[in-house]
Amino acid sequence: MSDLLTPGDQLTEEAGEEQRPARGGLARYLASKLAGALTSLLLVVLLGFFLFRMLPGDPVQTMTAGREVTAEQIAELRERLGLSDPLWRQFLDYLGALLQGDFGDSFRYGRPVGDIILERLGPTILLAGTATVLAILLGLWLGVRSAWRHGSRFDRTATGVALTLWSVPTFWLGLIVLMVFAVGVGPLPGLFPTGGIRSIDPPPGLLPQILDVAHHLVLPCLTMVAVIFAQYQMVMRSSLLEEMGSDYLTTARAKGLREDLVRRRHAVPNALLPSVTLIFLHLGLVVSGAIMVETVFSWPGLGYLMVNALEYPDLPLMQGTFIVLAGTVIVMNVLADVVYRFLDPRVRAA
Amino acid sequence: MTTREQDGAPSAPRPPLLELRQVTVDYQSRRGSVPAVRGVDLTVDAGQTLGLAGESGCGKSTLAMSVLRLLPRSAQLGGDVLLDGENVRDMSWGRLRAVRWASASVVFQGAMHALNPVRPIGEQIAEPLRLHRSTTPGAVRARVNELLDQVELPVARSTAYPHELSGGQRQRVMIAMALACSPRLIIADEPTTALDVIVQAQILDLLSRLVTERELGLLMISHDLSVLAACCERLAVMYQGRIVEEGPSTDVVRTPTHPHSIALAAAFPTVGDPASRLVTPRDTTPDTPPLLEARGVSVTFPGRGGTTTRAVSDASLTVHPDEIVALVGQSGSGKTTLARTLLGLQQPTAGEVRFEGHRLPRSARALRAYRRQAQLVLQDPTGALNPRHSVYEAVAEGLRIHRIPGDETAAVADALNQAELRPPEEFFTALPHELSGGQRQRVVIAGALALRPRLLIADEPVASLDASVRGEILALLLRLRVDLGLSTLVITHDLGLAWNIADRVIVMYQGRIVEEGTVEQVLLDPRHDYTRTLLAAVPEPLTGRAAATPNTTDPTRQEPTDDPTEVTGV
Repeated sequence: MSDLLTPGDQLTEEAGEEQRPARGGLARYLASKLAGALTSLLLVVLLGFFLFRMLPGDPVQTMTAGREVTAEQIAELRERLGLSDPLWRQFLDYLGALLQGDFGDSFRYGRPVGDIILERLGPTILLAGTATVLAILLGLWLGVRSAWRHGSRFDRTATGVALTLWSVPTFWLGLIVLMVFAVGVGPLPGLFPTGGIRSIDPPPGLLPQILDVAHHLVLPCLTMVAVIFAQYQMVMRSSLLEEMGSDYLTTARAKGLREDLVRRRHAVPNALLPSVTLIFLHLGLVVSGAIMVETVFSWPGLGYLMVNALEYPDLPLMQGTFIVLAGTVIVMNVLADVVYRFLDPRVRAA
Repeated sequence: MTTREQDGAPSAPRPPLLELRQVTVDYQSRRGSVPAVRGVDLTVDAGQTLGLAGESGCGKSTLAMSVLRLLPRSAQLGGDVLLDGENVRDMSWGRLRAVRWASASVVFQGAMHALNPVRPIGEQIAEPLRLHRSTTPGAVRARVNELLDQVELPVARSTAYPHELSGGQRQRVMIAMALACSPRLIIADEPTTALDVIVQAQILDLLSRLVTERELGLLMISHDLSVLAACCERLAVMYQGRIVEEGPSTDVVRTPTHPHSIALAAAFPTVGDPASRLVTPRDTTPDTPPLLEARGVSVTFPGRGGTTTRAVSDASLTVHPDEIVALVGQSGSGKTTLARTLLGLQQPTAGEVRFEGHRLPRSARALRAYRRQAQLVLQDPTGALNPRHSVYEAVAEGLRIHRIPGDETAAVADALNQAELRPPEEFFTALPHELSGGQRQRVVIAGALALRPRLLIADEPVASLDASVRGEILALLLRLRVDLGLSTLVITHDLGLAWNIADRVIVMYQGRIVEEGTVEQVLLDPRHDYTRTLLAAVPEPLTGRAAATPNTTDPTRQEPTDDPTEVTGV
C-alpha cells in the first residue's frame, strides 16, 4: 500500500538513523504489562468467588451427611464457616485475608488451603513440566521437519498423527493407555502402575524411590505428551512455512550455506518468533490441562485436588486452586511478552 | 586497468567470467511447463559490466538466479551456464556451495527482505567469510569493518538490525556482503528499485566505483534503462524470455532497433528533451481562482520523549482548475504528509487548506463530501484493490459509500469507459489478478472517476508500472484533463514524470517548499540547490552523468567490451 495511508512515515524515515531502544523503555514496558496482569488477577479473584457460589451443592450438607444434626448445629456450622454473612461481606473478608496471603481453611481437610496447594504443586509441576518439555521438543522437531519438506510423506503422516491425537478426548486416551499398559491386555502384562505417584510401601533409599516415582510418571506423562504435542507441531509448521518463501533464505543459499544451516540459522529463528508466544500461552494452560490426566491416573496434583474440591464443594479450596491455575496463565502471558521482546529486535525497538 | 586487460586477452584466451549458452528455464506447474527463459546467450568478462533490461515477467530475474542455480525446485534449467569455464549445471552440491558467493555473489532487490530481520548486519556480512575462508574471529571482524568502511557505513552500525537502517543503508549492507569474499562476478538484481533518486545515484556511484576498482564483472538487472545505461558498458534487452537486442549502452539507448527496446527507451524521459514533453507548455498560471489552495500549512508529530517532528512547515500551494501540478521530493521530504493534509486525512497544526475558496471542514460527514470532489489514486494498484472484489464492485464501492443516486451500472460503465477499459461490460466480473498492471491502475482510476471528482491526487501513479504501460497511463491522465477538465496533483520523486505531464512543479525539501514554477522554469533553470541536486541525481544515459562516472562515453573503456564477444563467438 502507499504510504499515503500510513501516518507519520517521515518519523520513521528520520528516526531510522539513530533508532535505539530508549533507556528505561524496558522498565516502563514491564510496569505496564505487570499492571495489566494484576488487573486480570483481580478479575479472576472476583469471578472465582461468585462463580463457585452459584454452583449447586451445599458444603454444609456434605459435611453433615449421614449424621443426625439439629438445625442449631447446622446454623452454628454455617456461622463458623462464615457462610451466614451476606455475600459482599464474605467477599471483603476473603479479599482482606487474601491480601495477607491467606487463602482460608479448607472445609474438607480443615487445614490452610495454601498449605494443601503447596503440597500438590510439586507433583503437578513434575508431571506437567516433564510432559510439556517433551511435547515442545517433539512438536518443534516434527514441525520443522514437516514444514521443510511440506507435502512429503513424512509431513502428511506426522501431521495426520498429530491431528488425530489432538482431537482424541484426553480421558478416553488415558483410559486406553491405562488398560493396555497398566492393566495389561491379553498376553501383555501390566507394565506400569495404575495410579498414584509412588507405591504404597516405597522401597528404602533415595535412588529406588526416585525410580519408583519415575515408573509411576511414565503413563500419565505419555498420555499428556500425546495430547499436547500437536499444537506445538502445528504452530511451528505453519510459521516455518510462512518463512519458507522469504528472500533472506535465498540470500543465505546464495552465500553457499548448507540447507540445514539455512534452516537452523535463518529460517527457524524467524519462525520461532510467533511460536514462542503461542508456546507460552499454551504453557499457562498446561497446568489446568493436567486436570484430566491427573484424574484418570489418580495423580495427587492440583488438577486432581480441584476435581475433589468441586465434588464437595470445598469453596476455599476451589477458589484457591482457581486463582493458582488462572494465575499461571497470566504469568505465562507476561513472560511470553518479555521473551518475545528479547527474541525480536523489531519489537525491542518499538 | 584497461591496458592490463587488453594485454592479457589476446595471448591467453582465458574463459570468460560468465558465459551463458542457449540457457532455458521452464517452470513446471499443474498446467504443464511454462517457459521463462528461451535460449539466451550472454557473456560477461572480468572487469566488464553488462546490463540486462526488461519488464517484469520477461525472465530476467530467473536468468540471474540460474547463474548460481538458485531457482526453485519447480524450475528446469537447460543449456550451459559456465562460470569461469566451469558448468554450473554439472556441479555437485558441495562444489556449487563452494562457488556460491566466493566466485559470484548477488545484490538482491529490496534489501529489507533479503536481509535476515533478527540478526545484526555485521553478523550477516561475516557469515560468508566464516563459511568460505577459514579465518580467525579477529580477522573476520577486521574484514567486516573494512567492508563497512568501503560502502561508507560507520563501523559502529555493524550491531544494528536491518530495520534500524534506511533503505539506502540496507542496500549498502547488501553490497558489503556481496564483496565479502572478493568474488569476481557480482549479480545485481534491481539494486536501486525501491530507492529514491538521490539515494539511487549514491548506490549506483558506489557500485560502479567498487566494480571499477576491483575489475569485477557486473551483471546488473533492471527495468530501468537509464539506470543500466548509467553504469553498464553493454546492454541486453530481454523480452518474453529472449534477448532481443544487445550492444554498447549508448547504441541501445540512442538508436534502439527492436520495438520493445524502443518502448523501454521512450519510457524513461530525458528532462529537457522536448520529445518526452507530453503537454504544451503554459507560460503563466491561469487567472481563474484556484481549485485547491494551501496557506501556510504546518504539520508536526509528537515524537518520543516530548520532542516533536515537523513534517511540513509553512507550505503554501495552489492547484487551478484544468491544471496538472507535480509535487516533487525525495522520501522523507514531507510531500506525503502534505498530500494527506490536502485530503483532510491529517489535520494541519497551523495554516489552512481551501477547496474552491472554502476551508476544509472538520466533521467526518463534511469531509466525506469533500473527498468526493478530491479523489486519491494510490501508487500500487495491486495493493489498492481488494483481491476478492470484481472490477465492478471496486468501481461501484465509492458510489455506494457516497450514496450516489442513479443507475449504478451505467455509472460504473461510464467510469470504466473514461479509464479506457473498453468495452466496460467485459471487465465487470474480472478479478484484479486476471488483469495486467496497467489495467489494474485503470480500474483504480475508474474507481476515482466514478464519483466525478474535480481533482485527482495521484501518489506515484506510475512508479510500480512497467515501462510500456507507464506511457499509456500518463496519456490517460492527460486525456482526462482535456475531456473532463480534471485537475491533478501528482506526488512523485520522479522528475521525468513531472517533465512528461505537469504544467507546474513544486519542489519540497525537509518539509518546506523550496521552489515552485512552471516545469520549464524549474527543471531547465533550477534556482534552489536542492532542485539542482535532484536533477543531477537523475541517471541520464545520453548526457551529463556518463562523464561523471567512468563508463560508456570513455572510448578506452569501449574496446574490452567488444573483444570478448568476439572471443566467445569463436
